[in-house]
Formats: sequence, C-alpha cells, structure tokens
Amino acid sequence: MSVSRDEVLRIAELAELDVDEETLPALAEQMSRIIDYVAQLSAVPANGGVKMFVPGPDAIRFRADEVNPAPLAFGPAEFAPAFKEGFFVVPKLGQFE
Amino acid sequence: MSDAKAVADRLAKVKRLNALLTPLKDLRKSLAAQSAAARPTGVLYGMPVVAKDNICTLEFTTSCGSRILEGYRSPYDATAIAKLKAAGAVIAGKTNCDEFAMGSSTEHSAYGRVLHPLDKTRVPGGSSGGSAALVGAGAVPAALGSETGGSVRQPASFCGVVGIKPTYGRVSRYGLVAFGSSLDQIGVFGRSVHDAARVLSVISGRDPRDATCEDRDPLRLPTVPESLQGFVVGLPREYFPPELDPAVRRACERAIRLMKEQGAAVREVSLPHTAYAVPTYYVIAPAEASSNLARFDGVRYGPRFNGSADVRALYRSTRGQGFGPEVRRRILVGTYVLSSGYYDAYYRRAQQMRALIAQDFRNVFDRGVDLLFTPTTPTPAFKAGEKLGDPIAMYLSDIFTVTANLAGLPAMSIPIGRVKGLPIGGQFIGQAFLEDEMLEAAYALERVVPAEDEA
Repeated sequence: MSVSRDEVLRIAELAELDVDEETLPALAEQMSRIIDYVAQLSAVPANGGVKMFVPGPDAIRFRADEVNPAPLAFGPAEFAPAFKEGFFVVPKLGQFE
Repeated sequence: MSDAKAVADRLAKVKRLNALLTPLKDLRKSLAAQSAAARPTGVLYGMPVVAKDNICTLEFTTSCGSRILEGYRSPYDATAIAKLKAAGAVIAGKTNCDEFAMGSSTEHSAYGRVLHPLDKTRVPGGSSGGSAALVGAGAVPAALGSETGGSVRQPASFCGVVGIKPTYGRVSRYGLVAFGSSLDQIGVFGRSVHDAARVLSVISGRDPRDATCEDRDPLRLPTVPESLQGFVVGLPREYFPPELDPAVRRACERAIRLMKEQGAAVREVSLPHTAYAVPTYYVIAPAEASSNLARFDGVRYGPRFNGSADVRALYRSTRGQGFGPEVRRRILVGTYVLSSGYYDAYYRRAQQMRALIAQDFRNVFDRGVDLLFTPTTPTPAFKAGEKLGDPIAMYLSDIFTVTANLAGLPAMSIPIGRVKGLPIGGQFIGQAFLEDEMLEAAYALERVVPAEDEA
C-alpha cells in the first residue's frame, strides 16, 4: 500500500480532521488506491516545459479602490454556533506546536 | 396564489424521490410570498426554479447536503438567485445533492440518497441529482445546479433532461459554496434546450462581487436555426472507446446521422490526453477542496460537535463528525497531494497535464471545428450502491465530462434516446464564450432526435 496507516494519521492532523481507529484501515486502503491511480500522471515530463493552466482571463481585473458594502440580511449571531459581543466564541486555545 | 399552490403540489407529488430538502410547509409559505412579490414584467415571470443546496438563498437553509452546515441560513442571496428573482422567477426550494457537490450519484448526502425519477433502484447521477430528478419528474421546468467535473451534465444525461455547464467566468459564483475554485461553475437544467437556455441567459453576465466572473453582457439567446449548414462538428475518437455501452454508441450514431442530414459537416478528431483527465481532476479538485473546506471548523457557521476541551479539539471533532466519508476522503487526498514531498509528484504534474488537455481542445478548434459531440456518460443510470464501495469506478462515470471543466469550456447534455427505458445523453462541447453556437446546434438536434425512443 502506498499510503500507510501512520501516513493517514499524519495527513489527518494536517487537515484538522479526526479519524477514528475503526475506519483507519479502510481509509488507508482507499487512499492508496486513489494515489496509485493518479500516479499515472508521472507520464508528464517532470522538468518544466509545460506551463500551468488556469482558465479565465490572463490578467486580473482591478476594481476601483472604494468600499462597496454587501449588505447582509442578518448578522453572525444568527448563524454562528457561539457569538457574543461581536466575537465568535471558542474554547481555550490549547497547545499549538 | 393558486400558481404558488400548484407549484408546491407538484413538488409534493414527487416527495418519494427525496430530491427536495426544503420542508413543504416552509416551501408553501415562501412560494406564496415570492409569487406576490414577483415582477410581472420579468422574462421568467412565474417560472418556478429549484436550486441545488450549495447555492445560497435567503429564504431557505443552505446545507450543501452536509451535517456540518445543517440548518445554516445564509444572510444573502447568491447573485444567480438574485438575478432569477429580479427576472420574476420564484425559487421553489433547495435540492438534495452529494455532500459539498462531491459525488456522481447523489448517494453521498447526509440527508439520504435521491431516487432516479424513472427507476427507484437506480441513481439520478450527481452531484446535482436532486435538481435533475425534479426536472426529470416534471415537477419544475428548470433548476440550478453546480459543476466541478460534470455534476450538471452527468445527472441531466441520467434523468433525460437538458443540462448546461457554461464557460468558466460566464456566471457569477457569488454565493456558490466553493469546492474547486478553478473548476466550479453554476449550471442549469431544463426540460428543453430553450428552458435551460432562458435561465442561463438570465443568470449570466458581469458581477462586481465575483472577480472571476468576466466583464461581459448576459448571454444572448440564439434563434432556432433552419439547418446545421456550415457547422463543423468534431467527434473525438477517445470518447468512443471500444468498451462504450453499445446502446449509448447507437444513440450517438443516430444523433450524428441526424446532424449530417441537417447539413452539418462531421469530422473525426483526436484529443490525445483524454485518458489523463480523470486522474488530473482527482488531484486538482481534492487539492482545491481541502483548502476551500478548511473554513468549516465549528466556529463561524453551522453546528459544533463536542470537543470543547480546546479549540483544536473543536476543529477536529466538528470536521471529523460533520463531514461524511467521501468528503473526508477527498480532504485527505487533497492534503496529501499538496503536502511537502508530494507536491511536485502529484499537484504540479496535474497542473501541467491540465495545460495539455486544454491545448488539445485549442488544437482541434484552431483547425476549423466549431464544436464537439460525444456521449455524456459511458453508461445510462447505474444501480444504487453499485459503485459506492469503489471510488475509482464512481470517478470514472465522469470520464467524458471532466475535460470541459479542466479546460474551462462550455458544454451541455441533451437527451438523445433510451435503452430499456433509461435516458441516454449526448454532449456538445463548445468554444469558450460561444454558448450561442452550442445552443444553436442543440436546438437543431433536439428538434429531430427521437429522445424518447429506444436506441
């Protein structure tokens, strides 16, 4: 398998996503199959040559530098899980490495 | 008010499809209010249009088929919705879809699967399956969906309706919940080419709130052409592989013959990098999704799941429990291909392949071909559950549609026949911002093709 159990856990941490023990083996197996499948892209010559492509206009269109309010029908207090005195309320920050 | 009642009654009649997420009681109330407020001078006056649940509406909740946005009400209307209302249309509720538009069968919704309108054991396609099923069942004349890799055309093909994905930049995405930002476009479904085209024309055009929406006037509807004289239609050989379903091939051959009879010149062409389109898509789309979906963390929108120990535990438990299996899988794949050590091997290669795929199309169009005709999907609607255990098999049902998204081109599916009662779709792929030419060809084919007959 190209994606190991430990690798899934490392990626899940980067993605801020809880993965439970029970689904881990199946997830590693499915991710391996997907990664093996997309690996056929190695047929593309690796060293430059081909430019990247993004659709849309070649240049970004600039807007006039002025405030254009997009009025909201109601504020975040209506749709946020916890909102108080103009702030989104979260639990304590905890340990960030 | 009787119109509003009739619209709600028609939707109530097909409740069994599980295609509509808006509760009927809320819908009736809103329809009555919207009908009273609708502008009688609008070009779509009185037309009921349903919208996929990843398009923000003030009236109804916008859950994207996900638990992580259960009950979420947007504080604004998407530009496409605002334009529909300004044209006199009424928004007739939100439709079920694969979670965050990730899927090809509408089986990946937190609110249950959508049934095919003609065969409840089959899928309606996806991810805009609810919209396609409601148009297919005759409950509404038109619907909005969204496309990242074929999510309008593939279900349109399965449900026997018309589905259009416009050129990247043709329709504003303000208020469309982002999945793959270099691919996403709002698309339309219609009972007929004309119904779909009318809605597309209304929602297209510039929008100062979306910098990726081009500064162009709304699409002007072409007239139905007398013939296809002067049209050069290309048939890409890679889209007619030996393993293509024989009924799909027969239906396409019949459609091609009918286009020739109307005066079109038909030419075989080649798009040599087609085989790499699905792997390219399944690197780029998850990569962009992993970034776009980072905003759903239990802080700003939707419900919060446990994990109040610290903020990081909150993120992880909300995302772990709020997202379904397919979304989790794609976020992980996207994070993997963007992570240090794998970026060059996967993401950069995929971007380069995308350029080659777009160049394939330019080469063909530069040699005098006006538009391409292909099957929309390799098979008609498949059985529910058939591809659920095999993500790659599911991904391959988009094999003929993802290329237009990768290249940013307009494309559409129209019904061209049936096999054992199940609809088959034919696809046109046009040149950027030449939707009018594509629509002319579709009008001409629609007029003569026996879409209800066995192929």
